[in-house]
Amino acid sequence: MPSLIEFQNVTKVFQDRFTALSGVSFEVEAGEVCAFLGPNGAGKTTSISILMGFLFPDSGAVQVLGFTPGDIRAKEKIGFLPENFAFYKHLTAPKLLRLHLALSGRTAVDDGWIGELLARVKLSGYEDLRISKYSRGMVQRLGIAQALLADPELLILDEPTSGLDPAGRKDVLDLLASLKAAGKTVFVSSHILPEVEQICDRVVVIDRGRLVQTGRLQDLLGSGDKVEIMVDQLSEENGYEAVRRGAVVSRSERGVRMVIDSSQRRAMEEFLWSTGADILSLKQLRGSLEDLFLKLVEERH
Amino acid sequence: MKIRAIALSTFGTLVRNKLIVLFCAIFLVLLLFVTTPLSNMRHNAVGEEIVLQFVSFLMFIVSGFGSLLAAWSAAEAVAGEMKSGTILAVMARPVRRWEFLLGKYLGVQLLMLVYVAFMFGMSYVLAAIGGQSIHAAPWVLIVYPILRYAIYSALAMLLVTVMHPVLAFVGVLITSVLALLVMPGAPSGFMTDQIWMPLYAVLPSMSLLSESQFLGMTQASLQPIPWTNHLTALVYGLDYALVIFLLAVWSFRRRALTRD
Repeated sequence: MPSLIEFQNVTKVFQDRFTALSGVSFEVEAGEVCAFLGPNGAGKTTSISILMGFLFPDSGAVQVLGFTPGDIRAKEKIGFLPENFAFYKHLTAPKLLRLHLALSGRTAVDDGWIGELLARVKLSGYEDLRISKYSRGMVQRLGIAQALLADPELLILDEPTSGLDPAGRKDVLDLLASLKAAGKTVFVSSHILPEVEQICDRVVVIDRGRLVQTGRLQDLLGSGDKVEIMVDQLSEENGYEAVRRGAVVSRSERGVRMVIDSSQRRAMEEFLWSTGADILSLKQLRGSLEDLFLKLVEERH
Repeated sequence: MKIRAIALSTFGTLVRNKLIVLFCAIFLVLLLFVTTPLSNMRHNAVGEEIVLQFVSFLMFIVSGFGSLLAAWSAAEAVAGEMKSGTILAVMARPVRRWEFLLGKYLGVQLLMLVYVAFMFGMSYVLAAIGGQSIHAAPWVLIVYPILRYAIYSALAMLLVTVMHPVLAFVGVLITSVLALLVMPGAPSGFMTDQIWMPLYAVLPSMSLLSESQFLGMTQASLQPIPWTNHLTALVYGLDYALVIFLLAVWSFRRRALTRD
């Protein structure tokens, strides 16, 4: 897979005093959804600004879609949502999108496509309302619509769920999932880790301008070194035996839950069958992205 | 297409700018006040020369205000985008930095064209209220102010790429005052030749770019000036504006684009 984003040893220092990025390197391959994570002030927006050609690195090399950032050949294939999207407030949503089409060099305005986009971000019915009258969430939805306007190959989204209510956040995640299914590459910064975890393939974590971790989500979280087994019932005596074999046992109305190392799974299954217990479910347990993020960041503080 | 879209959008934003609208409204009200003395002049049958000198003075003020409007609009056109953060969405599109700046510049020129049209109409209206008429060639009254505004707006655009818009505006204001002071015949006695000469060489020549050099206001008509004089003045003005604008493009090419 070719890399659509290449960030090699990038350093950015503001006014010779504040080091926003220090030797940051990562890559994003075509077709991936990459979560760009970090606490506030970590350097996420600076990195995204460099990717878009708004800022210039002091050292290091950056390539986006095979071009230097800011090259219009790259920008033709990028859909971008800045953090706290803002636009000319006197316009209506269709006029704004028409303006963006013109800025993309499209001479023919497809009102059908504009209507479809507005429907996709649930802004249908607000075509005549000026943006100045929009709520924060509506502006964010409009920002997402403009990012999708030119059918981009790569989407760079800075906090796309910012300002949205839970339903709006779910809509955005569904949208990202559909983009992923359509083979688009998405680079998204977000604070809502449990939600991002559902759709991302790759994770880049930065903190205080330094790369903390990068890699495929599956590799970082592991395939799961623990197994959870639920059985319908287990006698006290067999429960003690399960504990002796290394299981953590807890009882509830739904049944008996046991957590053991993956390596002990087969032996435990055979033991349970021998007791006559019915196994209701068996699943691999793995850490969450949030756990990983907190662990990585806390280690550095 | 892209440049036109930016220019029209800039024009649309500027005519909605509260500060610009407020200043224009105040200025218009002040102009309306002067219609009374002009009307009195007509009734008292004062001479044509006095009326046209009064109109000439008013138009000098209107023209000066236009220079301020050009400078502020150009500074605001770029700085306003930075302040609101709208520049990020625009520059994320396949737009080159020079295309963005050119679109902004043309948007400002569109505004100034409207202003000059207003100024042009106003000079005829004021003269008519005073019971007189202006017989000058209209294109002189339109093209020369446009050239001056093109220079001042390019200068403001250059300065705003490196400094706060208010400072850029003050910078243009100082430049325009100095340009008037170093005009031949202007009261610049307090300047030594070592100061006067470089300023005269560098600053835009207001004597060359003023339409009044061609107007005999007492007759309110064009003096017989060879067309080569016009051509020289216009080429000089265009060249000056172009050089300043290119400097602005050069300065803007590495400007950090962030929400200020």
